[in-house]
Amino acid sequence: MVRPGVARRIRGLSDRALAWLFITPTIVLLLAINIFPLLWTIYLSFTNYRANRANVPMIWLGADWYQSILTDPDIWAAMQVTAHFVIWTVVIETVLGFGLAYLIDKKFRGHGMWTTIILLPMMLSPAVVGNFWTFLYQPQIGLFNYVVAFFTGRPASSFQMLGDVTLSPWAIVIVDAWMWTPYVMLICLAGLRSIPDYIYEAAEVDRASKWRQFWSITLPMALPFIMLAVLFRGIENFKMFDMVNLLTGGGPGSTTEVASITLKRAAFESWRTGYSSAFAIILFVTVFGLANIYVKALNKVKSR
Amino acid sequence: MAEVEIISVSKAFGKTQALSDLSLTVGDGEFVALLGPTGAGKTTALRLIAGLEQPDRGSIRIDGRDVTGDAPADRDVAFVFQQYSLYPHLTVFENMAFSLRAPTRRVAEADIRAKVQEVARLLHIETKLDNKATQLSGGQMQRVAIGRALVRSPSIYLMDEPLSSLDAKLRGELRLELKRIQVELGATILYVTHDQTEAMTMASRIGVIEGGRLMQIGSPREIYENPINAHVAARLGQPMINLLPAALFAGVPDGAETIGARTEHLTIARDGGDVSAIVKRVEHLGDQSHLHLDLAGRPVVTLADPEAAFGAGDMVSLRLNKPLFFDAKGERVAA
Repeated sequence: MVRPGVARRIRGLSDRALAWLFITPTIVLLLAINIFPLLWTIYLSFTNYRANRANVPMIWLGADWYQSILTDPDIWAAMQVTAHFVIWTVVIETVLGFGLAYLIDKKFRGHGMWTTIILLPMMLSPAVVGNFWTFLYQPQIGLFNYVVAFFTGRPASSFQMLGDVTLSPWAIVIVDAWMWTPYVMLICLAGLRSIPDYIYEAAEVDRASKWRQFWSITLPMALPFIMLAVLFRGIENFKMFDMVNLLTGGGPGSTTEVASITLKRAAFESWRTGYSSAFAIILFVTVFGLANIYVKALNKVKSR
Repeated sequence: MAEVEIISVSKAFGKTQALSDLSLTVGDGEFVALLGPTGAGKTTALRLIAGLEQPDRGSIRIDGRDVTGDAPADRDVAFVFQQYSLYPHLTVFENMAFSLRAPTRRVAEADIRAKVQEVARLLHIETKLDNKATQLSGGQMQRVAIGRALVRSPSIYLMDEPLSSLDAKLRGELRLELKRIQVELGATILYVTHDQTEAMTMASRIGVIEGGRLMQIGSPREIYENPINAHVAARLGQPMINLLPAALFAGVPDGAETIGARTEHLTIARDGGDVSAIVKRVEHLGDQSHLHLDLAGRPVVTLADPEAAFGAGDMVSLRLNKPLFFDAKGERVAA
């Protein structure tokens, strides 16, 4: 006869110990690749550290970088380019995405096939998308210029989407909208599908026109989903790097230099590690703050 | 209010024949209940009248006008759905005012307010008008759904099992209220239910529907006392009618294969009856007792006085007292 406590010790670990055993690898991994780099970046942002001269002794600079970044007109220009990009892509993707979802939700013949076709761009890698839109935008051989020429009559080689100061900001907006409108559509479609048919039937009997049904049932009931899509796209595009880097690399000049491209240049071309760390922290706080305010609003809408 | 006629309407969904050649007239100010099991076609009948479905054959007339091809909005009907179907993001007031605010109705805002408040008082939800529809209990939601129909004065109120999702107590209360409101307003109501008590207590006429066919229509009393076949007889009565082989009893009319014996058709005594049976089980319900008997291997359920001291295993004697007779097909045979 063995006492229970001894028996447990003999058989192995307690439940609590087992629980720790299971989650420790995850916690270690998270600490190593998320928390530690974040804290390390915060530390570096107060120093003169340069990653290409790692053996130069570090000097504590306090908030110097923060001050110089927030007063730098180039940084504000990059933030404006980012804002332009974020606002226009989110607006276009939301309007088109919701519109497509509304049409697909009508369950016409072959709506399943159309859903799949519409979703294709979203499934591609941004690197692939960036590369083949570079070809589509080619003034001489590009399909985009050819199509514009076909409809407007302007010669195809008379404009360069990626090389023109006024056109290039729109060129990246078009590509992002092409790629990510399906994603917004998918979320909106889930919202529309969640509205039960009998609510529309009740409205039908109540003599609500299609127009009134849309404004007083469809839109308010799908709104939390639309807002969620806006949040996801907003955060994603605030951080946009890969596609823009491939398409324009920030150019011509700095007309498409979104914040993350400025950041990459400072960090890995000028090797101003401390400076770029400070900028990264500023971007992080901005996105985090905006997203939090937005989520509060979203919860308010949801609880209505 | 108006008379509503359904004239030999048929409707199929794919291979399922939901309704076959259904004809029914709901008179002005009448409360008609369609009683039948799930899948009998009751709801389909309502949806056809509302215009939410189109019949394959037949026509529908409201107030003498053929509305068969009309959209729901043009039919002037009010529908109470089984699943409440309130607009979840609107308040109770906005839900009830929704139909009155249809631009085609041109009701003044002050009249809307007065009407909604009047109906809310009728349904005892006047304190809930500013709540969101989703913040209500099931009973309150269903009152709002009924209220949303009552604020209008349509040709007909179509109600699809409006009380089925409520608890027994609330169901009893709303049953009385609904009947009172119907009498007060002189409303024309077509009410669909599978609950015989609702049909018996509220309806001026009951239509028993089964397998998409209207089997019999008549006053609750007629349907109960004079069912045309065994199906209809089994629909009404608690405990359910006992269907017994006629061979067990002497003196049955020609052609009768089955005897339908309700509780009131059976006299139980210690002895001196036509046949004897064994008591299997007694269920005491307080005011009455259900007596489960074994009659030559057939189960028989009847009511007994709670005072009567029967116990399991007792031998009792049964006497039939003007029961119903049915032939081999279940059709009624005259006694």
